[in-house]
Amino acid sequence: MMTVRWGMSIDLDKCTGCGACQVACMQENNMPIFEEDSDIPKRVTFLDLMKVTNDYERGKNYGEVQVAFVPKMCMQCSGNDPQNPHPPCVSVCPVVATDVGEDGVVSQIWSRCIGCRYCQAACPYEARVFNWWKPRYESDFKKGLNPDVSVASRGTVVKCTFCSHIWKRERDKAIAQGEKDINKVTYTPACVSACPTGAIVFGDLNNPNSPVYETRLKNDPRAVRMVHSIDHQPEDERQRRLRIKEFPNPKVYYLSSQKWLRDIISGFQNS
Amino acid sequence: MKKIERKDFLKVAGGAVAGGIVGTTVSFAPFDGLQWLVEWTQDQYRPEGGEEKFRQGVCPACGTNISVRMIGDRAVKVETSNAGCSVCQTLIQQLYHPERIQRPLKRVGGKGSGRFAPVDWNEAVQDIANKIKELRAQNKAQAVAAINGSGNAAANALVERLCAAIGSGHVYNEASLDELASAAVRVSQNADGALEYDFENASYVVSFGARLFEGWGNQARMHRVLNTWKANNTTFVQIDALATRTASLASKWVPVKPGSEIFLAMGIAYKLIMNYGKGGNLPELARWNGLNDFAPDKVSELTGVPAEKIDEIAREFANAPRAVAVAGRGGKMVSSSVAEILAVQCLNKLTGRMGVPGGVFVKAKSNRLGAVAQDAVARAGLQATRKAKGIDDFIKNGEKPELLFINEANPVFTSVYGLDLANKLKEIPMVVAIATLRNDTAALADYILPATTILEVKTSRGDAVVAPRFFAKNAADIVLAIAKAVEGVAQSFPWSGHADVANLIGADRRPLASFTLNLDVLRNGLEGVQKRMESTLPLALIPYEIPLVGNGSSLALPYVLKGIGREDYAFERMRVLVNPETARTLGVGENSTVKIRSSRGKTCRVNVHLSKTVAPNTVAVAMGFGHRDHTKYGSDKGANPLEIMTADIDSESGVADWWYTRVNLS
Repeated sequence: MMTVRWGMSIDLDKCTGCGACQVACMQENNMPIFEEDSDIPKRVTFLDLMKVTNDYERGKNYGEVQVAFVPKMCMQCSGNDPQNPHPPCVSVCPVVATDVGEDGVVSQIWSRCIGCRYCQAACPYEARVFNWWKPRYESDFKKGLNPDVSVASRGTVVKCTFCSHIWKRERDKAIAQGEKDINKVTYTPACVSACPTGAIVFGDLNNPNSPVYETRLKNDPRAVRMVHSIDHQPEDERQRRLRIKEFPNPKVYYLSSQKWLRDIISGFQNS
Repeated sequence: MKKIERKDFLKVAGGAVAGGIVGTTVSFAPFDGLQWLVEWTQDQYRPEGGEEKFRQGVCPACGTNISVRMIGDRAVKVETSNAGCSVCQTLIQQLYHPERIQRPLKRVGGKGSGRFAPVDWNEAVQDIANKIKELRAQNKAQAVAAINGSGNAAANALVERLCAAIGSGHVYNEASLDELASAAVRVSQNADGALEYDFENASYVVSFGARLFEGWGNQARMHRVLNTWKANNTTFVQIDALATRTASLASKWVPVKPGSEIFLAMGIAYKLIMNYGKGGNLPELARWNGLNDFAPDKVSELTGVPAEKIDEIAREFANAPRAVAVAGRGGKMVSSSVAEILAVQCLNKLTGRMGVPGGVFVKAKSNRLGAVAQDAVARAGLQATRKAKGIDDFIKNGEKPELLFINEANPVFTSVYGLDLANKLKEIPMVVAIATLRNDTAALADYILPATTILEVKTSRGDAVVAPRFFAKNAADIVLAIAKAVEGVAQSFPWSGHADVANLIGADRRPLASFTLNLDVLRNGLEGVQKRMESTLPLALIPYEIPLVGNGSSLALPYVLKGIGREDYAFERMRVLVNPETARTLGVGENSTVKIRSSRGKTCRVNVHLSKTVAPNTVAVAMGFGHRDHTKYGSDKGANPLEIMTADIDSESGVADWWYTRVNLS
């Protein structure tokens, strides 16, 4: 039985927007290569490095305006009850192409996907992308492909899986070395190990010694989760809402000392 | 007019249909269709498996140790363990780029036609060596010239040495932070080397437009510096005309009028002298009667920074235990004038921050390659060399060489005089470009010699991660091969390979606290900016950089293209930032299509993106776009603003200060 629940926290105060996480993700996960990828709705990437500013709805003018970058990947939702997870995308998939593992990672098996795109519609974070074209890798670019991640076919939905193939790799190595406790297997997703300022950290949300211990993150005034309306409600209101609706309950936390940035990410004032 | 008979009409129509059917059947169209159908239905490509290994290397751009994951003999991932720069992650794409130059290429079409055919290495090297011998035999050694990029220090040192041994002083470097800082160090500190700031030990940092966390200097080091500053509570003041990420990471952002950073530096110097008694450290400035033009109220008018703010920065700068002022506007692409760097250096000198911990040092080049043997021809050539001050001066005013080496550089793209250079290249008898990928400059060369990418370079700690692909060689080895093929030159090149040379060159930090202010340079610089501000064109154009794209050398890499945000380039159209207020007065709105026009010309069509990150009456434009010839991925995307940016050549650095240009939208 796995007791780890993988989670991530991203300290935006340390993020320079250098883009290393994005390229590391593309390289690790065999992103398709097109000549012209500027048509953003059709672009296939798992990690989106979003540039955000506080000039419009936050009403800041030149001189006070600020710029920040927000790396956004799959938020690995748990649903209301992490013990019995119901991420929005898993609930709607008619062919079980996407499912939740014991470690809470929301998987996606490209070859099972029939391309109905229900999950893409259900995802609150636009974390899923659809392969409108067959992924292509012109000649020698094929040499840089990672054999641990299968190349998707045209007409399938793909997404970030917290690089769970790296976990499998580490698990196999640990087993080969005689490790019998599966919870001792640790790993680092590509974006996390690439981050040159250590802004992105990864670990077990259940473990008090982990850098992403969830109880600590939940009490951190700098922490917010992306567009999650019940996080900042009083406890009784939160419980009431949990009874009537399934919430995504994502496992990625953003940390920022800037209120405007927390507001933008959470989608609420005074977060 | 003759009436067309029904029978004739049917004949013609029948013939056309029959011809069409025959044409289609005989052509490849149906087979292409079938091929497409097969591909569409077949299984996806399955990457080959193999044994997993990790091989160690070093990224020369940032000095970070990298570990490369290999599957069999394929490199599939670069691991940097929370360090490194944005180049590190793109190394795999560089290595396996399908348009890598594989063999030496010789031009087959007309000059500048861009048509090449592969030739043998020996043939290429011999031909180039013969050209050198021919020029030397005619006593025209000074007709050899070279332009160095900034990627391969060993190759650059060898190119310089090759030219010296041949007898030419015409070696120029592509403009960079170090190149501009070196010019300022030459003027004020009489030394050969760039500026190095001891950021790790500073407690108060004022940056005059240097976008420290957006590719400036050594990116990997600056990432570490950010964490150090957070841990030490270092105060960081960013002066910039644009709300960049660096400005938002700073403790304080001081918005200034575009191009007026130099005036603000002078205003702070005025306060340091007049109010904080620092004049004794730089008497020549304290005595200068022109200083009175930089009283806070006057500077406030020039820069748009309130007088109290100027006083505040001056006070904090004077009182901070380890303050340092940083010059060099930009990220990976830096543009500044020597006068501006001097003005900023004055602040460091006034507060005694030169050559002390947390202050500014000189990074002096150390070269242990030894003396160059020069024969009579070489000595005569060097004497006849009328060396230009810098690359732009050379392109615009320099003598036309007869043999030009372009060593892993792309000056046609990165210089404001790029188009002039492109025309000039067509008239130079032999242009030799060393490059990994075809670029705007190499496409106009007579020879393109294939260079290795970073993962193929042998490091001092061992073998290269991947053996050199195709027939590519390290640029330093290419230069060695050419040098060894020329009698009279060869004896100055005893090394067997680039690794031997790399061990002999480096840079060390020196205090060099002596500083002589050249008031003429400063005065000319100040007047130049003032004149530029008086232009009748209503808007200021300033540059910014996009993460990963930087100066545009990585635009040929698809994973870089994929990461470009929609506010910068979307739906095959580049976007420029305009303040909404300004847009209203100009009658343009979000996504309006415009052309930017300066006194030098106009760009192709770009779209407007309204943003209050940019000052009113200012247009901010991303650098790195608008390649004319840089693989199918990087070409013809957006506009290269350098083509319309100000091209006043700095009298000391010989490089144009293009940072601030007056423009209009049309």
